[in-house]
Amino acid sequence: MRRGARMTALAATAAVVLPLAACGSGDDGGSGDSGGDLASGPIDIWYSTNEQEIAWGEQVVEAWNADHPDEQVTAQAIPAGSSSEDVIAASITAGNTPCLVFNTAPAAVPAFQKQGGLVNLSTTFDDAEDYITGRSGSAADGFRSADGDLYQIPWKTNPFMLYYNKDVFAAAGLDAEDPQLETYDDVLAAAQAIKDAGAADFAIYPPATADYTNVNFDFYPFFLANSGGTQFIEDGKATFTSDEGLETLEFWQTLYAEGFSSAEAYSGDMWAGPFADGVAAMGVAGPWGKAQFDGKVNYGVVPLPTAAGTAADETSTFADSKNIGLYSSCKNQQTAWDFLKFATNDENDLALLEVTGQFPTRTDVPELAADFLVDNAFFEPFAAAVPLAVDVPTVDGLAEKMQVFRDAWSDAVQSGSGDLEATFGEAATTIDGLSS
Amino acid sequence: MTTLHDEDVRSPARATATRGPRQGRPDPRGRRLQRWLGEHPLGLLLSTPYAAFVVVVFLVPFGFGVWMSFHDFFFTAPGVQVPHPFVGLENFRQVLADPVVRQAFGNLLVFGLINIPLTVVLGLLLSSGLDAVVHWKGFFRVSYYIPYVTASVATLAVWIFMFNGGGVVNKLLGGLAPEPTWLANPSLIMPLIAVYVTWKNLGFYVLLYLAALQNVPKELHEAAEMDGAGTWRRFRTVTLPAVRPVTSLVVLLCIITTGQIFTEPYLLTGGGPNGASMTPALLMYQKGIQQGQPDIAAAIGLILVIAVMAVSLASRRLTERKG
Amino acid sequence: MAGTTSSPDALNKDRRVRHGERPGLRRTGRVLPALRFTVLVVGALLALVPFYYMIIGALQKERDTSVLGLLPLQRNLTLDNFAGVNESIDLLRSLLNSLIMTAGVVGCTLVFGLLVGYALSVLSFRGQGLVFALVLLVQAIPFQLLMIPLYVMVVRYFNLADNYLGMILPFAVNSVAVLIFRQYFLQIPRDVFDAARIDGASELRILRSIAVPLVRPAVLTAMLVTFIGPWNEFLWPFLVTKDATMQPLAVSLANFSQANSTFQANPMGAVLAGACVLAVPAVVLFLLFQRHFTSANLGSAIKG
Repeated sequence: MRRGARMTALAATAAVVLPLAACGSGDDGGSGDSGGDLASGPIDIWYSTNEQEIAWGEQVVEAWNADHPDEQVTAQAIPAGSSSEDVIAASITAGNTPCLVFNTAPAAVPAFQKQGGLVNLSTTFDDAEDYITGRSGSAADGFRSADGDLYQIPWKTNPFMLYYNKDVFAAAGLDAEDPQLETYDDVLAAAQAIKDAGAADFAIYPPATADYTNVNFDFYPFFLANSGGTQFIEDGKATFTSDEGLETLEFWQTLYAEGFSSAEAYSGDMWAGPFADGVAAMGVAGPWGKAQFDGKVNYGVVPLPTAAGTAADETSTFADSKNIGLYSSCKNQQTAWDFLKFATNDENDLALLEVTGQFPTRTDVPELAADFLVDNAFFEPFAAAVPLAVDVPTVDGLAEKMQVFRDAWSDAVQSGSGDLEATFGEAATTIDGLSS
Repeated sequence: MTTLHDEDVRSPARATATRGPRQGRPDPRGRRLQRWLGEHPLGLLLSTPYAAFVVVVFLVPFGFGVWMSFHDFFFTAPGVQVPHPFVGLENFRQVLADPVVRQAFGNLLVFGLINIPLTVVLGLLLSSGLDAVVHWKGFFRVSYYIPYVTASVATLAVWIFMFNGGGVVNKLLGGLAPEPTWLANPSLIMPLIAVYVTWKNLGFYVLLYLAALQNVPKELHEAAEMDGAGTWRRFRTVTLPAVRPVTSLVVLLCIITTGQIFTEPYLLTGGGPNGASMTPALLMYQKGIQQGQPDIAAAIGLILVIAVMAVSLASRRLTERKG
Repeated sequence: MAGTTSSPDALNKDRRVRHGERPGLRRTGRVLPALRFTVLVVGALLALVPFYYMIIGALQKERDTSVLGLLPLQRNLTLDNFAGVNESIDLLRSLLNSLIMTAGVVGCTLVFGLLVGYALSVLSFRGQGLVFALVLLVQAIPFQLLMIPLYVMVVRYFNLADNYLGMILPFAVNSVAVLIFRQYFLQIPRDVFDAARIDGASELRILRSIAVPLVRPAVLTAMLVTFIGPWNEFLWPFLVTKDATMQPLAVSLANFSQANSTFQANPMGAVLAGACVLAVPAVVLFLLFQRHFTSANLGSAIKG
């Protein structure tokens, strides 16, 4: 057969396969009955592979299972990286999501909701609204979907703070106990001193690749601090072209231009690695940083800097929240909801803080964890920052919009040169266009 | 009657087709059926498991992908009814107008122009060296194969280590080190990835060439030798034509690999700096899976498949015409 | 029938020459072989340096990125990284999963791929061009395009989540191996088969007694080529398995490097230690079989 015949063969194959595929796709009428009646029975859950969270999770599951022989919970661990969102999205499509996924990223909730994968907590359970707002207060409003309902329950918050390496600062001739890091100029001066003294390779080294989730580790926390908690998108419009936004962008551009940071992928864990390995003098992390950095770095913690300097008790920061979603493929939704309430009760929320060092998203953390905070003074500034912590906006197509921003970032900021107003103005226009 | 094996380049060693008398069945209907099925209907049977596999694993999802590219579609949970209107060529129009997509395909071109010639030249060079050398043959074979065998996660981590701003390579280059450094340099990142992939896969191609070189009958070399041909002339007139089928295969496989580049930019740069290492496969992952737009991703995918097939066909024409 | 002579002298010369002696070596002198050797050595070094670096990195007590760190210094060597990664991932169990998945793929490919490769090259039948076109087409399709529909099919319709079959299915028959088989069968002179046909052997008999024994080098090449893909494959098994006891090593290692490596004393070292464990079986396999990459003596098969 010559080429012509081969082409015919291909065309014939396509002609056979296409209608088949169309049939296959049209049929979405699988057994997708989430049932009008809320059933009780065994459920399965996913949580992250973080060792400490597994320890907490196993404890909670065991306690529940002991008391509920007919409603056993089975747990599996999935890695909590950006790839976990991809896994959950694929699972929703296949219809095999578990009832609950701890570590649902708020950024992914609009997409999951659009897929029809999440259960509307507000309308499905009578006590949902009261329970959630009672526990998390106004933070819960930050997680409402476009229709005003809650499709996720806020679970934990890890306010980001600025960690600094005391030994490196001392070597650079800076005050290691009370470093001046309130304004952008302070930070740049410290970075210069560190570079001059050769005390560390870089001043600060956030994950540098073009993955859109990295925005939450460099631009967004600093922007939140500088703008008093303005979210990335408000009222359908991008907010980073404001004066505060441009200040933050300029700050980061200077960091890259002066060589205080690096635009290459770090060879190792991009998030905690550079600071833990002593390659960067500062790092941005939540309270989980303690577990990562203990024994490796002599570290101190300060609030994030702002352009003009802000008091610690007014500095907003990124919440890096993870929430819990109840997924529509769940057969026994009543049990799932009951287990949800159990896992977020006073006892288990406190255990979460004690075992993992991460804060439950509740309004009464300082009271609930009073004893713990006295014994572990390290966590105090984080506890104070919880009410000031803000997360990503719950809008449609957030991943795409953040990707547009990230592309502009690598173009104008990481290169160290570039017209910030023009590049980001363009990005903002594109993003606003996507919203409509 | 050689049209049935048109893809085969007949190396000098191969016999021209000689067949025995056709063993037809006596009755006319049977003979017609057999003639229609071809001379060896057993071939159909032997091919069936593979064909079934391809249909189920590739063609059905691919067909679905093609369908998606012509509709406004996103994945939903089972039981969720959402309209998926037919949008004709809208997705394709959007994709082709997107500068990011054009850049991604442009990057593939840069990649291919470096990777393919480099692979063929180095593959031939190393394999002919291996064929002729007497000592340490096994050691060399194993060492070339090792990068191929090691997982990309590990080899990339090591390359990042080495090509770091303060890493070994820059330290050795001293003043010649590029500014900005390799991984953050828009003009150098794609060539770097091309060299990396060449290095990683070279062992496999060296093996292919080596096995083919060992199949070249020594009589041909001797005959050329006796005619007074030097090493280079022998290489050109005996070796090169003899391994043309393998070269054709190597180029084909390289083209296909080029179309699929995903892991390297994904782990190294995420597609940056500023789209300089973006590839269509990575873009499809971003759009289809991260951003929930599988219809756009499917459109990109379809364009990619067509492009790869077109280039493959063109290359086979080129490498087999000279026979 | 060019290229095959029938005198016994030529045959003897064959055998002598095949054992590494090239005619004319004395004439070309020492320069060319020396140059050839140098090129090969440089190539080998370039190939091995990153691998060596991986091993050294896995053995380092403390992360050392300097050039000096390349040397195996006594003071910085430890096996703790291997212990550390084994605590977090059950290395043996993961290796076993990798092995089962890969063995499944290799098995399917060697059986079904060989049959197709044979059919495409030696036989002629209706639809042959179509099958060959399929072999090419499927390789051109990027996996990202197929991923979600394939996932839905495997998990929802075939119900194969957390199952070895589910992991194996998309890779079951490696198309590159099919091309390799086809290529090798093409290089066998047609006379071999025609002679058998004239003698009255059935096609199946020819396949079994003549083709299969002849193509041993191709089997080994195909096996080694097919082995690498599923052994190192991360994305698909990651999607399809959530049960940690079912995950192959490539997936466990990637999860580890993302989530839990920073709890180790030397995170990069721990990840590299896992990577070494992943690479070793493949290297060992190749070491064992690389000696068999010599082609069969085809000249005498024609004589026969």
